[in-house]
Amino acid sequence: MKLWLLFLSFGALPFGVFAQNLKFGEVAADEMSMKMYAKDSSAHAVVLNEFGKTWLSSADHTPLIHEYYVKIKLFDTEAFKYGTIEIPLYREDNDRFETVTDIKAITYYRDENNQLHTAELDKKSIFRVNENKHWDVLKFTLPNLRPGCVIEYQYTMETFRLWNFKEWRFQWNIPKVYSEYEAHIPAFYNYNVQLVGPYKLDKSPAVLERDCFMPGYGVKCDCSKINYVMTNIPAFVEEEYMTSPKNFMSAVYYELSDYYDFGTGKNIKVAKEWKDVDLDVKRDQYFGGQIKRSPVPKAVLDGLIAGKTDEMEKAKAIYKFIQNSFKWNNFIGWRSEKVKTAFEAHTGSVADINLSLIGTLNAAGIKTDAVLLSTRDHGMVNKLFPVETGFNYVVATTKIGDKTYMLDATDPLLPFGLLPLECINDQGRVVSLDKPSYWVDMVAAEKKGRTIMFDVTLQENGKFKGTMVNYSLGYEALDKRHAMRRYNTMDEYVEELDDRLKKVKIKKFDIKNLDTLDAPLIESYEVEMDGYPDLSAVKYSFNAYFINRVNENPFKLEERNYPVDRGAIYDDRFVLNLHLPANMEIESLPENVALAMPVQGGRFMVDYNKTADGLSFSHRTQFNRSVYSTSEYPYLKEMFNKIIQAQSGEIVFKKK
Amino acid sequence: MRAYCLLICLYFMGGIVYAQQNYDVALIPKPLLPYATAVVRNCDESIEVKGLDNTIYRIKQATTIMNKNGDDHAQIVVWHNKGNVIKYIKGVVYDAGGKQIGKFTEKDFDDSNAAGGENLFADSRVKHYRPSMIIYPYTVAYEYEVRSKQSLNLNDWEPNPGAGVSVEKSSFTVTTKGDFILRYKEINCPQKAETGTNAQGQNTYKWELTNLKAIRPEPYSPDPENYQTMVKLSPAKFSYEGIPGEYNNWKDLGKWIYDKLLTGRDKLPEETIQKVKQLTAGIADPKQKAKAIYNYMQQKTRYVSVQVGLGGYQPFLAADVDRNSYGDCKALVNYTQALLKVAGISSWYCVVKSGSWKKSFDPDIATMGQGDHVILAIPFKNDTTWLECTSQIAPFGFLGDFTDDRLVLACTPEGGKLLHTPKYTSATNATIRKAVLDIDDKGNLRGNMNTSFTGTDYDTRYRFINSAYAEQVKNIKEIYPIPNFDVESLKLTRADDERAVSTEVIKLNSREFANTNSGKLYFKINLATRPGGVPKELRNRTTDVYINRGYVEEDEFTYTLPKGYKPDRTLSNTVLDKPFGKFTLTTKLDGDKLTYKRRLQINDGTYPKESYDELIEFMQAIADTDSETMVLAKAN
Repeated sequence: MKLWLLFLSFGALPFGVFAQNLKFGEVAADEMSMKMYAKDSSAHAVVLNEFGKTWLSSADHTPLIHEYYVKIKLFDTEAFKYGTIEIPLYREDNDRFETVTDIKAITYYRDENNQLHTAELDKKSIFRVNENKHWDVLKFTLPNLRPGCVIEYQYTMETFRLWNFKEWRFQWNIPKVYSEYEAHIPAFYNYNVQLVGPYKLDKSPAVLERDCFMPGYGVKCDCSKINYVMTNIPAFVEEEYMTSPKNFMSAVYYELSDYYDFGTGKNIKVAKEWKDVDLDVKRDQYFGGQIKRSPVPKAVLDGLIAGKTDEMEKAKAIYKFIQNSFKWNNFIGWRSEKVKTAFEAHTGSVADINLSLIGTLNAAGIKTDAVLLSTRDHGMVNKLFPVETGFNYVVATTKIGDKTYMLDATDPLLPFGLLPLECINDQGRVVSLDKPSYWVDMVAAEKKGRTIMFDVTLQENGKFKGTMVNYSLGYEALDKRHAMRRYNTMDEYVEELDDRLKKVKIKKFDIKNLDTLDAPLIESYEVEMDGYPDLSAVKYSFNAYFINRVNENPFKLEERNYPVDRGAIYDDRFVLNLHLPANMEIESLPENVALAMPVQGGRFMVDYNKTADGLSFSHRTQFNRSVYSTSEYPYLKEMFNKIIQAQSGEIVFKKK
Repeated sequence: MRAYCLLICLYFMGGIVYAQQNYDVALIPKPLLPYATAVVRNCDESIEVKGLDNTIYRIKQATTIMNKNGDDHAQIVVWHNKGNVIKYIKGVVYDAGGKQIGKFTEKDFDDSNAAGGENLFADSRVKHYRPSMIIYPYTVAYEYEVRSKQSLNLNDWEPNPGAGVSVEKSSFTVTTKGDFILRYKEINCPQKAETGTNAQGQNTYKWELTNLKAIRPEPYSPDPENYQTMVKLSPAKFSYEGIPGEYNNWKDLGKWIYDKLLTGRDKLPEETIQKVKQLTAGIADPKQKAKAIYNYMQQKTRYVSVQVGLGGYQPFLAADVDRNSYGDCKALVNYTQALLKVAGISSWYCVVKSGSWKKSFDPDIATMGQGDHVILAIPFKNDTTWLECTSQIAPFGFLGDFTDDRLVLACTPEGGKLLHTPKYTSATNATIRKAVLDIDDKGNLRGNMNTSFTGTDYDTRYRFINSAYAEQVKNIKEIYPIPNFDVESLKLTRADDERAVSTEVIKLNSREFANTNSGKLYFKINLATRPGGVPKELRNRTTDVYINRGYVEEDEFTYTLPKGYKPDRTLSNTVLDKPFGKFTLTTKLDGDKLTYKRRLQINDGTYPKESYDELIEFMQAIADTDSETMVLAKAN
């Protein structure tokens, strides 16, 4: 990533051919009089005009220059937040950091007497805040904001980061009338360009500019100038249960594919084909270099696998050892500065931990590769071009017997072969030190499964007594183990559970497989539940949904713009066996229900049956996909509606 | 509205070097283990006042982390800025046996900006370190020193670390140069300060505490000052950002603020003066004048916080606010005060501790650190009007639950005065709802539901009252637990006068509101209330029950039942009457009209700890009735 270092300093030539004047400092009468945005009456603000321009300067170190200009109409006080601007600036070290200059900002507003005024930003009110080691934020706020005002600001940013050129986001959380981006790309540089989102460009004319890039010593090249224009862009409205908004927001992204190094006269491929990526990654001292050997001392590793002949046993021992050797520092990423340092410090990033795992498994003779992936938050990977920066996470993959496993050692409660849900996103790229890379589907090895079984008998005193057994599988077991770990002792956990289950009193408990992560988590409880004050009545009604009721439909919108992402595949069962005293019998049972979503999307079943001494009841809900399309949304919503309705069914029993 | 703005005073601490202590976990006294996720083995805090512009805070602390849940207590967080400089930080990590296994120094700390998202800029920073241990228990011992160029804010001693942590030993030492007068207030201290003079001729004060058991969090507990150990400190003579001062009480401190921080900051441009005169020209009543000025200020300005140096305590110039139309609470109060002055209305700049939790200034000891926000009081002849100047929409004279019912410091030309802000009584804080609804024989519901909000409930919908209609509807749908809730129309209004009433008018329908099963209709009769959470049971509660603010909820729902249907359930009628609240529920059938009336009143106050069980029972009973299902069956 230290690209600019490759350019020898040729001395700067002052060069400002692109300083085309942005019209700043004017406001039109209709912009001031606008009362609302006709295309979206709910908008608190609208971008009237936005223009960005990026070019590579011929100055020292050829920095990238980005000019930004915007004019925004603010309709009401809710929009005032758009009057405070924050520009994050990256700092690699004291030599390489981003700067912003030429900030200008104006507010146009009308006073009580409808007189038009302008107020300019006072340069003293621009603050640069050092957030942490790598990030500064430049902040300013526009003066004299009033409902109905128009604000306008512009600035010039200089960055040393050429890798991604400068992306342009057409879509934002307020609508835009006009947005234009002008990119000047010297012929020395080749970028892969990707347009994301559902909206089309109005136009994107390209022209050739002669001799636009002259970094010095007679070296020069032409540029291609492209103007991307998009108009009438709706606001982006985030919905609940959605995957990363990045997947849907209209924007143009760049990735450097190759460039001509005018210092050496060579063409340098940055990333063009997977075989290039494979080679780079392998040679990368922060990746390939880190998985070639294990940070675990040989004696320790030998001790771990001593006496184990089965490959699976060895792999599990090593996985557990790595899990317990690190405390994850909450950083993600796929490159590690030095796994050995991290291992010794007992703390590290995803890369530190999982590259250690890969190296150690390989050192033990278990062939393991790395899988580069993009987490759900980070969005989908771009599969058209090999783009290293599209990935933000790494896990291990190994084949034992004829089964392939994916491993992540960052969480000590993950069972062997289960990845955190964050990793289950589209496809990952398997990268091996000795074979070409390939795509692999990131699918969850297990679902979120839960079965609750009650077996209770109605007592003479009107209470129900019996047992409750909970089986938790996959992600449900993972979540539960996390929850249990938050308590000092299991007694405290059960005390809390007892408090939460208002109707159920827990007498005794037994929890199995808390630490055996590969097995289902089994909780058994002896319980007593309130039923009736006594058994003197003739008729009794009973509702089988006395715990874990779904009280509300999580889906309230009429329609949905983006797919629904529920995370894991889900399977939930509740079983009740109710035994009545000999002198009682069932009078009536609620109706049974069986409902399925189209294309095996999910189903829901309720089943009531009379038994010799009472009844059996079961309720099962299955969601078979983690992501549902917008066209499936009404079915999903209706399924929850039916689940809620089914809960009101009343069982009636009486004395014989 | 929720705008903090006084500088949060930086905490300084200091330490005394002791001989190496043994941190073997086995040495922790057994009574300190139950409910403890961490144990403070030893904590020595000290403050040394070397000069009015030179105070030194030192701390030396060792904490044993018993398990993963205690990890947060191993974190070290040190605030600093230009005026409060860290001299050193260092520390050691020990394993369970007390064997040293690691070391850390200042370079292992992250340093980041500590200003919250609300601030455009504030010059406070924070250094942070978190040891990475994977084997429990372990012990982190650290010490650091912060030098501060002021003596106005001296750190209080608060040795109780909060729920889940026990303390083996904790001490607090203050040393001051000979002529420095230290005032202090001891709260629940096991013993009085040990005072004396040291070899250098400095005055010394020392407090100590040992063997404090870990407590569990107790819901509805009163202000910790009622039961925890604390020592509050106050200087007599001090210096802050180079400004000297001296005070003995709130009167003096208020006078200092008035004279040194406020005086001369109220000049306005001539144009604005004329504008204010015009604005108030036709108004005779001073209160109406003030209202016109307040509304003008609200429309003109907005809240933006910038805190640098003395700016933590001193407002921007009124002229700056006039030009930029923004400011923080101090700036906006000062500006409003300046505008009022033009109209001949005098007002007081009042420092307050803000937040929904009511916290009064301590009449016994005056300190700067007790406040974090500023409001304005106008002393009219017969009543005092209070203004929150950071809100663009608050009605004139309305404070809401951010600054109500507490002692605040009014800074007047004659000096400081402690004043009490208005209290909103239980009966005032009311949400009153009426709905008239029809259910048909398919279970579909249709009707109108109207609600009014008063007192501190006035702001219940503030989050989206100014949003676009579609957004309001989306939010309302989240608020009521009505199945298939369809909002046909919605109108939210707020009266911006002193009555402070806001209203919500909804026309709604709900498909399959009642579920039909075996020929009967089932539905939640209380369609508006989401059954509340009930606080958990506690064996051996130690603190009194404290209810911070009272309120009233009144609901009346009238259902017209489908033809031929009658309730197939006994109609619920309940009265629960307790000192802390009263709940009444009546359900009546009159022809085809089923009327459900519910009233809950919660009374603020402090109640004996024994009433906690009763309170839970009360809330559980309400939660149960709130989730009751009504069943309708066709009458034969």
